[in-house]
Amino acid sequence: MSVGAPGLLAQEDRYERDFTAGVARSPWQLFSRRLREDRVAMAALATIVLLILVAVLAPLVVKLAGAPGPNVQDRDATDMFGTPLGPNGDHWFGVDPLGRDVFSRTVYGARVSLLVGIVGTGVAVLVGVTVGLIAGYYRGWVDTLLSRFVDVVLSFPVLLLGIGIASACSLGKGCVGGAITPGVRTVILVIALVTWTSIARVVRGQVLSLREREFVVAARALGASNRRVVVREILPNLTAPIIVYSSLLLPQTILLEAALSFLGVGVSPPTASWGWMIADASDNFDTQWWYMVFPGAALLLTVLACNLLGDGLRDALDPRAER
Amino acid sequence: MPRLVKRALPLLLLILATGLAACGSSSDNGGSSSATADDGAGGHRGGTLTVLTSQDITSLDPGITYQSLDLNVLASTMRTLYTYEPTAPATLVPDLAAGPPQISDGGKTLTVRIRRGVRFAPPVSREVTARDVKYAIERGFNPNVANAYASTYYGDVVGADRASGGAIAGIQTPDDFTLVFRLTRPTASLLAQSTVLPLSAPVPQEYAKPFDAKAPSQYAAHVVSTGPYMVAADSDGKVLGEGYVPGRSLRLVRNPNWSAAGDHRPAYLDGIDFEIGGSGTVYGRQTLAGRGLVLADPPTPALVKKAYQEARDQIFFSPGAGTRYAALNTAIPPFDDANVRKAVAAALDREQMRRVRGGEVIGDIASHFLYPGVQGFEKAGGLEGTGVDFLAHPEGDTALAARYMRAAGYPSGRYTGGETLQIVGLAGAPDSNDAQIFDQTLQDLGFKTSLKLVDSGVMYGRFCGVPRARVHACPNVGWIRDFADPQTVLNLAFNGNFIFPENNPNWPQLNDAAINRAMARGELTVGDAARASAWAEIDRMITATAAAVPWLYDRQPNVFAADVRCVPELWNQGHCDFAYTSLKP
Amino acid sequence: MAAYVLRRVLWGVVLLALVSLLTFVVFYVLPSADPAQLRAGRNADPATLAQIRQNLGLDRPLTAQYWTFLTHLVLHADLGFSYYSGASVGSLLVDRLPATISLTFGAVVIWVLVAVPLGVVAAVRRGTWVDKLTTGGALLGISAPVYWLGLLALYLFADDIGTFPLLPGAGSYVPLTDDPWQWLTSLILPWLVLASTFTAVYARLLRGNMIEVLSEDYVRTARAKGLSERRVVWNHGLRAAVTPLVTLAGLDIGLLLGGAVLTEAVFGIPGIGRLNYEAIVHADYPVIQGTVLLAACFVIVANIAVDVAYAYLDPRVREQ
Repeated sequence: MSVGAPGLLAQEDRYERDFTAGVARSPWQLFSRRLREDRVAMAALATIVLLILVAVLAPLVVKLAGAPGPNVQDRDATDMFGTPLGPNGDHWFGVDPLGRDVFSRTVYGARVSLLVGIVGTGVAVLVGVTVGLIAGYYRGWVDTLLSRFVDVVLSFPVLLLGIGIASACSLGKGCVGGAITPGVRTVILVIALVTWTSIARVVRGQVLSLREREFVVAARALGASNRRVVVREILPNLTAPIIVYSSLLLPQTILLEAALSFLGVGVSPPTASWGWMIADASDNFDTQWWYMVFPGAALLLTVLACNLLGDGLRDALDPRAER
Repeated sequence: MPRLVKRALPLLLLILATGLAACGSSSDNGGSSSATADDGAGGHRGGTLTVLTSQDITSLDPGITYQSLDLNVLASTMRTLYTYEPTAPATLVPDLAAGPPQISDGGKTLTVRIRRGVRFAPPVSREVTARDVKYAIERGFNPNVANAYASTYYGDVVGADRASGGAIAGIQTPDDFTLVFRLTRPTASLLAQSTVLPLSAPVPQEYAKPFDAKAPSQYAAHVVSTGPYMVAADSDGKVLGEGYVPGRSLRLVRNPNWSAAGDHRPAYLDGIDFEIGGSGTVYGRQTLAGRGLVLADPPTPALVKKAYQEARDQIFFSPGAGTRYAALNTAIPPFDDANVRKAVAAALDREQMRRVRGGEVIGDIASHFLYPGVQGFEKAGGLEGTGVDFLAHPEGDTALAARYMRAAGYPSGRYTGGETLQIVGLAGAPDSNDAQIFDQTLQDLGFKTSLKLVDSGVMYGRFCGVPRARVHACPNVGWIRDFADPQTVLNLAFNGNFIFPENNPNWPQLNDAAINRAMARGELTVGDAARASAWAEIDRMITATAAAVPWLYDRQPNVFAADVRCVPELWNQGHCDFAYTSLKP
Repeated sequence: MAAYVLRRVLWGVVLLALVSLLTFVVFYVLPSADPAQLRAGRNADPATLAQIRQNLGLDRPLTAQYWTFLTHLVLHADLGFSYYSGASVGSLLVDRLPATISLTFGAVVIWVLVAVPLGVVAAVRRGTWVDKLTTGGALLGISAPVYWLGLLALYLFADDIGTFPLLPGAGSYVPLTDDPWQWLTSLILPWLVLASTFTAVYARLLRGNMIEVLSEDYVRTARAKGLSERRVVWNHGLRAAVTPLVTLAGLDIGLLLGGAVLTEAVFGIPGIGRLNYEAIVHADYPVIQGTVLLAACFVIVANIAVDVAYAYLDPRVREQ
């Protein structure tokens, strides 16, 4: 039960099993076995895979459900004052003020959330690991410079920075000379910019301590180039913490994308995005509850699954860390 | 939103003829309208009205302000030379003036007598003289004030072309209570009409000059009134921080130096408190259920429905609140092709555009640009339209749209070119919904689009009003006027001579030689009927080009609490006029 | 010690300067709207626009503009005037700060009062239903978007639209000095919603720390010595487990004082966060600069406070 982390007794059982079987298992085998035995984490993983499938196959899902497309404005689903209809036979989750099917838009909304979340996390991790590696390995003035830079970014109110950049880059041809076009790309950039620092700090700390370990010192004494040392000795030992922190980061980036969309600076309409739908619903949610509840529940489910999976990964990788 | 549309107000006060028929007064177009325009007579004295507004005012300075809400405040705190009574929006009545305008010298001289006994509020407290009006107008040319319409309406005054805040030779004050304007062209009656704008509200020079010397002018923080109400101030006259806390509150109190004797305003209320910055939706709910409240924001469709169904006498639909249309950029492909424009016009479901704003009650489907209440509206076709086929079906006609696309050279009836269209609309419901309907219409025609929903300042200042930005369509634009003269609705918006690199009012960038010539002729036409015919013909010509797709004649709804006897300013989107409104006991 | 504090404070000042430079670059070089046009209105001719630009100093080179801003700030404590409303940025900040402070401190009190007992109890009774409930609830708390929770809370409990009208709804905030009771009741829902995420995080963290601490040798020794379980847990265990949380809380408070945009937006609280957001929407650069600097100030001060506290407790840190 990784929700609460395995009981002390159960943990000792596992150690017993791992060793008394008489077979030496590689860390990866141990890791995957622990993960597989964690029922909650597996359920979360299955949910995430399912969500990714739904996102990728959104058109199919919508067609199978018999719902209209996400941008189809159904004239008949709003009354003469423009008030949309709630959940009914034709529209399981009701419609939005433009007559668009909320079920459809919720399904398509998964695309944006997952795409931005996964790619954004990936970019943030890439940047963070790189900076952390360089700072931790080379130390000295390089480290000082990079650490100070991280300090500056962290002093900045992060969400506001995100809002500012997102709003500035979502106009006209985008920014950075047009390389960052408005839309998904801008949001990914903003999210990566805002979240990379935590990974950088962690990696730096890890590298600083790894650097002094015997195998690294030995490799360097043997004349291995810096690149070799980093790639062959240090990086492999970083994999576990990187995975752990990435899995911690993913739910945060998904929530961040939704927050940016909620504030109106994320992906622009008519692309369906859960955060934007919630914001759109916030004017009339007292009478049109479906438009607020369903996208929010979808968001909650996705983030919850990511958090559970993250917990599970963490426990499987380092069962002594009872967090 | 009307508020944004309202920014064009000053320009639209270009009228020539006098004695305009009061077409816009009562709800002759509001068949389903509820409360009729109350003129406020016999109201109960006392009480404080609370105005709820999510948007702040722009400025308290009568020389700067140009927005609908600001005008609402100034109407009861400032006395201009001439003004309108709230429910008679086309009849000029003397306010600060003692009598009707006297035009002589073939229309090149305007003489106005100033009423005696009008005094400034504390701390200035002295009697208003003609020199105060002279200074008020001159300061409009001061770059520290930078009045938006000074050069447009007062530009014909002798010496105005060289004015930059100093004395203007053509404004003369032979004595303390006489004001004489000498003009370079015979446009005196136009000038007389334009004095309803706040620029002619008197400003005491000895008090304001030090503030006007700062860049930008700080007079707004110390503004002094002449009307029945004033912004609460400290003993030095400072209102900023006292009666006006930007983004939070504004307090109007009675002006102790105002006397009812020389004014037609009854001024029943003891005070008006503005609560600024909250959520429009929440304010709407509070207004409908509360007491002593007025909603200054346009109500949401849900609120309109609720009020219409449950509290019919708490909602007033102000007729003649303008035309909304979608401007198509005629200067760049693909909308440089008239057939493509007509296809878009034919495809747009204007009923749906109206429905997401609240449905039938909030206006009529538009089919050309002059709107109900403006002279020439009927001659241009009235509600039926000018007769063009692409605007014949309010719900859209996809077959016709396909035919026009084929005529434009797309055999499939859908766009197959490579251009991605930049569409810029307004953020915030229901405007964002209209923008999305328009966007979807384009996509259904085969266009690839990139839709941006932004703040109104950004939309006009950075995109739609800047030709360089190469925006293909702006679906949330529109015009409103104050007077019945049709020139004010059509001239700036569609005349090729008014295409500017910045702050461009001719959003479609229409530059049709025949239309330009017709407008030049129309400017000089004299006489109501002749002008109505001339401009109706121009309206037909503009509509035929499909440079813009008109979709709504606004009937601006205004919501107020059950105990409020709201007197709507029919010349200003139906905002309750504080000097006439009262509270029921 | 004094030298350490001085060093940290000096670095803090440098940080502020760098933050202001970064703000300048982000919000000024990538503008969203033209402030001159905002001010001039839609009909201004090019000459008027040029004049306004000159008045606002917008036509000078960027470095000159930035230098003017810096000198005004340092020498006259003048943050400039809002492009949108003309009010002084300082007055806007002063006006909005109390609301943000109210919101922050109420939320902090709640999350501390709830998270600490929950974390401790969940750790002590690990594996029981109490633990499962806590960790489950905490997971929900960190997974739900705060604005959605806010909307749900309003939908359920707001007195104007809620299913169970209990508390004032959105837009009902009044300053403490105006009406203390209304102030208090209008903040209860926002406090609860804002505190929920933090409670979840801190409860989880505390639980994890406590579990680790409680299995340490010295705790076993304390137990062996016969100390009551309660003393072991609360005196020995909690003291050790809570230290990282205190630093985290310090940093989070610093962050929240810069404005909780999402909560303020949902509940209509006129705080710094919303001021900043609206300024960004209107491209009101002076206000953006002012709010960002204020927020950064809080974060930096919090960081310094935490670092100094650590240095006080652990002399080795001062040598760094």
